[in-house]
Amino acid sequence: MKPVILNIWSFLVRLTARFPSIGSIAPFIPIVAAWWIVTELQIFPRVFLPGPGDVVRSFGLLVYTGVLPEYLQDSMVRLAVGAFWGIALGIPLGILVGLSQRAHTALWPLLLFFQAIGDIAWLPILVIWFGYGLVTMTVVIVYTVIFPVVLNTVLGVRSIPITMERAARSLGCSRTRMLWEVVLPGALPNIVTGLRNGLGYGWRALIATEIIVGTSGIGFLMFDARRAGSVVEILLGMIILGILWYIVDSWILAPIERATGQRWGLVTR
Amino acid sequence: MKNLTIRNLSKTYFDPYAGTNVTAVHDVSLNVEQGEFVCIVGPSGCGKTTILNMIAGFLPHTGGDILVGGRPVNGPGPDRGVVFQSFALFPWKTVLENVAFGPKMRGVGKAEREKIAHEYLALAKLTEAAGRYPAELSGGMQQRVGVVRALANEPDVLLMDEPFASVDAQTRMTLQEELTRIWQEKRPTVIFITHDVAEAVFLANRVVALSKGRVLEEIDVDLPRPRSWDALNDDPQFKELTGRVLQLVRSA
Amino acid sequence: MMQHRLSSALWFCAPFVVLLVLWTVLIPYFNVNPRLFPHLGSVIQAGLEGIKDGTLIQHIGASLMRVAVGTVLALLVAIPLGIAMGVSPVVSSFLTPLFRFFSVLAGIAWIPIATLWFGYGFGAITFVIFNAVFFIVTYNTLLGVSTIPLPVRNAAASLGAGKWAMLTEVLLPGALPNIVTGIRTGLGFAWRGLIAAEMIATNVGLGYMLFVARDFYKTEVIVLGMIVIGVLWLLLDRLLLAPLERATIERWGMVQRS
Repeated sequence: MKPVILNIWSFLVRLTARFPSIGSIAPFIPIVAAWWIVTELQIFPRVFLPGPGDVVRSFGLLVYTGVLPEYLQDSMVRLAVGAFWGIALGIPLGILVGLSQRAHTALWPLLLFFQAIGDIAWLPILVIWFGYGLVTMTVVIVYTVIFPVVLNTVLGVRSIPITMERAARSLGCSRTRMLWEVVLPGALPNIVTGLRNGLGYGWRALIATEIIVGTSGIGFLMFDARRAGSVVEILLGMIILGILWYIVDSWILAPIERATGQRWGLVTR
Repeated sequence: MKNLTIRNLSKTYFDPYAGTNVTAVHDVSLNVEQGEFVCIVGPSGCGKTTILNMIAGFLPHTGGDILVGGRPVNGPGPDRGVVFQSFALFPWKTVLENVAFGPKMRGVGKAEREKIAHEYLALAKLTEAAGRYPAELSGGMQQRVGVVRALANEPDVLLMDEPFASVDAQTRMTLQEELTRIWQEKRPTVIFITHDVAEAVFLANRVVALSKGRVLEEIDVDLPRPRSWDALNDDPQFKELTGRVLQLVRSA
Repeated sequence: MMQHRLSSALWFCAPFVVLLVLWTVLIPYFNVNPRLFPHLGSVIQAGLEGIKDGTLIQHIGASLMRVAVGTVLALLVAIPLGIAMGVSPVVSSFLTPLFRFFSVLAGIAWIPIATLWFGYGFGAITFVIFNAVFFIVTYNTLLGVSTIPLPVRNAAASLGAGKWAMLTEVLLPGALPNIVTGIRTGLGFAWRGLIAAEMIATNVGLGYMLFVARDFYKTEVIVLGMIVIGVLWLLLDRLLLAPLERATIERWGMVQRS
């Protein structure tokens, strides 16, 4: 009896060592199973808590009618546009505030304050200014992404050791080239961390915006379903949100962060 | 008076990667008398740390007996103090609180346990550092705290797992000399694990050479005490003993 | 020292003074429609009125109450659960993906289903806050416990620590830096979730105040609400959470950035 268990264990250990993604899927199996059992036993009314099967069916239907791919695309495009502008504006601003003491004195308190206001609190006034639509959403996401990027870039720029700067100067590096050769790569690990945090916040802001002022997107799908009282589609929306961000975060952002920070030995974990 | 007896100790575990059973320790027997200083020496992977972890009670053994004062070992306990290679100080406690931890666990009152801690800190010349946090100390200082913390609990046996392996060479020699001095003063029973043959001979009454989970030979060291590196560096007997142990360990 | 702190406080306030001056000068100068952006005077007036008739205090009180209740409930469950799961390396590595998944969903994504399950009102909003804090703090606690080096736990055991002492002397303090970081992140999400949820699902609170003002183009109330939200969070984060985090992490030399 015992050797059989040991053999299964051994098999599983070797399998997850070979394919690490299995290790991250495995914990969801008992959860889904428990969910399935709870709904089959009708502990809660089915209208309140539909089963996994219902959600899969609804997924199939929404894919078939083309609603889901369209909404998914809308959400991803909004996030990408927001992220692009957040990076394009955030990194230069961060380097400026990080390098210049004057810019730091003038802007740092404002940055902290405007970060504290939070993206979603801007929604009402943005709706007055720009109406319901892409501009409002983009502004909210840019607003969300930009602060973690700026704050972390400042941190990164300021943590570059003075000796490294001196070394570059004494090797004949001009002030402008210093920006490209020393400051940017030196701050890069922090910038990536900032981007990862920023997108995490941006993702949530996107959902909130779509829920409150949206006309399409995953957040809108969920809220529309809520209006119609369809719990199935809400659950489907949540699961898609979770999986999507999990993929973006652990397959794209986390490896980039590791590749810069840990490879160079700048971030100790 | 408590002595430590190990009879036919062995350790077998299941390696899921290989899918087979692996034997790390084979049939090891050892008797350590009250107040003795025994060094177990061997190359990395020879099972010496596994033996120490089993004596400490961190790992269960799969065969044989471990008896402290005639009582079988069952899990970790305050009768066996441990000094770790990685120091394992509590970073959220000051040096004083770290040393007073053992007495605190015994239920000794605050004033009394701080008195005990101060006494032991003085023994290792650490009085100045009492209020500081471990992160604010050098590696050598941290390990002094580690040794004193284990001693302050007045264990029957002191188990030391390559305690000086992660400090620099200069500090290591100082720490070794200090350890012999403290040992002579308090006369605890010590089992000391190391891969450094010279360190083993310098410290021990008896050196146990280990290889591939088996005891090769036990060698008595009757060098005079107090010992110091200045005196022993050119000592012919010391050289002869280290040479013998080195040959044993390397030939295996 | 005292003087240094005073001057740095003044320097911190200076940019805000500049901003306020620009506001008072530029808005009348360009003759901006108050339905697009309010005058500073009307915002101050709206603030005073809100304090006088008690509505502002009521909104702030409702929002803070929800945050407090949701957070306290979440911490009471999350910390013991996180520690219990973090003690075993097998259990914690098994559950980590699960909690990462749910931390991603934390807060806002729960609003639709929360309002369906609990109806509009206190229950749904508290549930959203509970969620935002609970998953992130549990995950961080679990992470914190599993990063305590095994020798440290062994050391405590061999010095005679029983189960209770292990919990209070080793596991809790060892995980504390991570727990505090988790609380800080979780509250950040909870605060945003609160504002979003109040816009949709209630009839009192700061988010509601903003959203209703939008219907009547009362920009002075909107801007007032934004300032209040910003100031409250800044006070909470900078005066309570950040110092707590620094105190534990730096003093103990446990550098753990997330």
